[in-house]
Amino acid sequence: MKGVVQDQARSSRKSIAQRARESAGRSVMLRSFFIAAWAALLFLPFHGIRSALVLFAGIFAGLPVMQSAMRLGGPGEWMQRLPGFRAFTLRSFPFLRTSALPVFLLALFVLPFTLKDYYLDVLVMSGIYMLLALGLNVIVGFTGLLNLGFAAFYAIGAYTYALLNTKFGLGFWPSLPLSAVAATLSGLLLAVPALRLRGDYLAIVTLGFGEILRIVLNNWDSLTNGPNGISGIAPPFLFGISLGSLNFYYYLVLGLVLLSVLIIRRVKSSRVGRAWIAIRENEIAASSVGVNVTRYKLYAFAFGTFWAGIAGALFAAKMRFVSPESFTFMESVFILSMVILGGIGNIYGALAGAFILVLLPEALRDVQMYRMLLLGAGLVLLMIFRPQGILGGRKGVRIRG
Amino acid sequence: MLKLTSLQASYGPIRAIDGIDLEVNKGEIVCLIGSNGAGKTTTLMAISGILKADAGDIFFEGGRITNLPAHEIVKKGISHVPEGRRIFPKLTVRENLQMGAYTLSSGKRAGTDEEGLIAKVFDLFPILRDRRDQMGGTLSGGEQQMLAVGRALMSGPKLLLLDEPSLGLAPIMVSKIFRTIREINNEGVTILLVEQNAKASLKLSHRGYVIESGAIALQGSGEGLLHNEDIKKAYLGE
Repeated sequence: MKGVVQDQARSSRKSIAQRARESAGRSVMLRSFFIAAWAALLFLPFHGIRSALVLFAGIFAGLPVMQSAMRLGGPGEWMQRLPGFRAFTLRSFPFLRTSALPVFLLALFVLPFTLKDYYLDVLVMSGIYMLLALGLNVIVGFTGLLNLGFAAFYAIGAYTYALLNTKFGLGFWPSLPLSAVAATLSGLLLAVPALRLRGDYLAIVTLGFGEILRIVLNNWDSLTNGPNGISGIAPPFLFGISLGSLNFYYYLVLGLVLLSVLIIRRVKSSRVGRAWIAIRENEIAASSVGVNVTRYKLYAFAFGTFWAGIAGALFAAKMRFVSPESFTFMESVFILSMVILGGIGNIYGALAGAFILVLLPEALRDVQMYRMLLLGAGLVLLMIFRPQGILGGRKGVRIRG
Repeated sequence: MLKLTSLQASYGPIRAIDGIDLEVNKGEIVCLIGSNGAGKTTTLMAISGILKADAGDIFFEGGRITNLPAHEIVKKGISHVPEGRRIFPKLTVRENLQMGAYTLSSGKRAGTDEEGLIAKVFDLFPILRDRRDQMGGTLSGGEQQMLAVGRALMSGPKLLLLDEPSLGLAPIMVSKIFRTIREINNEGVTILLVEQNAKASLKLSHRGYVIESGAIALQGSGEGLLHNEDIKKAYLGE
């Protein structure tokens, strides 16, 4: 009896900070338990009880460690305490810091000479998705307008080039800006009615637009050849020489991604960019400081869908074939995942997100059956431990419609 | 300077203000007091263009500004501090203030001394200077209110609309905010103040209006309303 009283007294003497730490520790344990149990349950039917238990134990023990490593947005405290850790940060090598970017760019330029075609092909696809993620990031990340139908604008870009080329014989170079313009105009067309809505309602309308467009492409046989798609799209030509090689696409995509990063960076730090961020942060406050909210939301839609049009034309030229199958709702979700994974509102995050989400399924080809499962689990883990995304700076920027 | 004539406005089917007549002269502090749901906030939102008016008119410096878009009204020199400290939570204090000067950075007003304006706000609210690189959302309630007022001043307004600046603040903060309102007024900014804190705001104001279920019930000098028997009973709890 006496012992219990003493025990209570002792626990009430614990500092508030100590108690907060303990309860945080408990919630980590609880969370790890649920995640581990969930993963084990998913594995059970495929691998039997033993591997499910191993997986459970691994996740249950590993998660708290991982969290302490990732919580602070960089190396965890425990890593910094390792002897010599500080000596190995980039900061201690000024030469590396200043030369990192040129070296990186140079590496990008010589890559095609060293890589197998398969890897180059994956890189080209990730470049196309980078353009898409950069475009969607303007709408969702900068302006905070949730768009679940972004693949529609990608489709419009792709079909514009496909149709101009196969029906009118127009080449890639004049078609590229036309594809971008077509996507921009359709973006504006959707934005004018949709921007009267907020939040979930805007998300649903954009989702609906994406589906409607896909269904139209699927059924307008006389124009789009329906589900069979359009084949025989010509690659780009320059002075009568076909540029259909993988190396060429690599450099084209690389150039366009670099160009788009430069342009989007400039726009972000301009008046327009500041207006976008103000709208994302608080719409009423933005209008009370004199931001024309409707106009800048339109700009965001137009500017974001522009890059989707470019990506679409590239995709059509590289594949030489388009069909509605490539532009499903899943595609929109995939692009949105890239933006969220990389860090909403962060330009380099969008690049990283696109790179990782294109590469990861390829890397996981050996475990074919589980790759979507692993990918999904990875995204869930990321949202739990680092909700601001890989490169998201200011923690917890919300998406709002 | 500002004149409302039989102004009506609604939220959907619900009429929130029903024929408001109100006038603010240059250099004055005018307060609008009344109970919850009387239509105080709605009146300010209609003036600043965030809410559309159904009928009636709003004149500012002789020109009709009824139902102009909000960003046009800011350019005319009316700055609104919305209720509930609507700052930009993920921007720093400095960035919040810079956003306040948004209308100054375009067209013929480009090249205004933004740094000078920020320095003036920092002089008015020294605590904001200490917090200038901190994110707006991490400030205390009182500091956020200061930031919201400071941001509104960044556009160089002639008329400042303040919506419940004392809401949810500690008493010491309230008196601080009220002192600063007087200071801002002394610098030549006309102020229309909406408040539930009737006593403090009547003391501060040159004139006051009492609003009841969407219409003006009483008006008079701040001093006069403070000693009005009905007001004492209904709003001052005496």
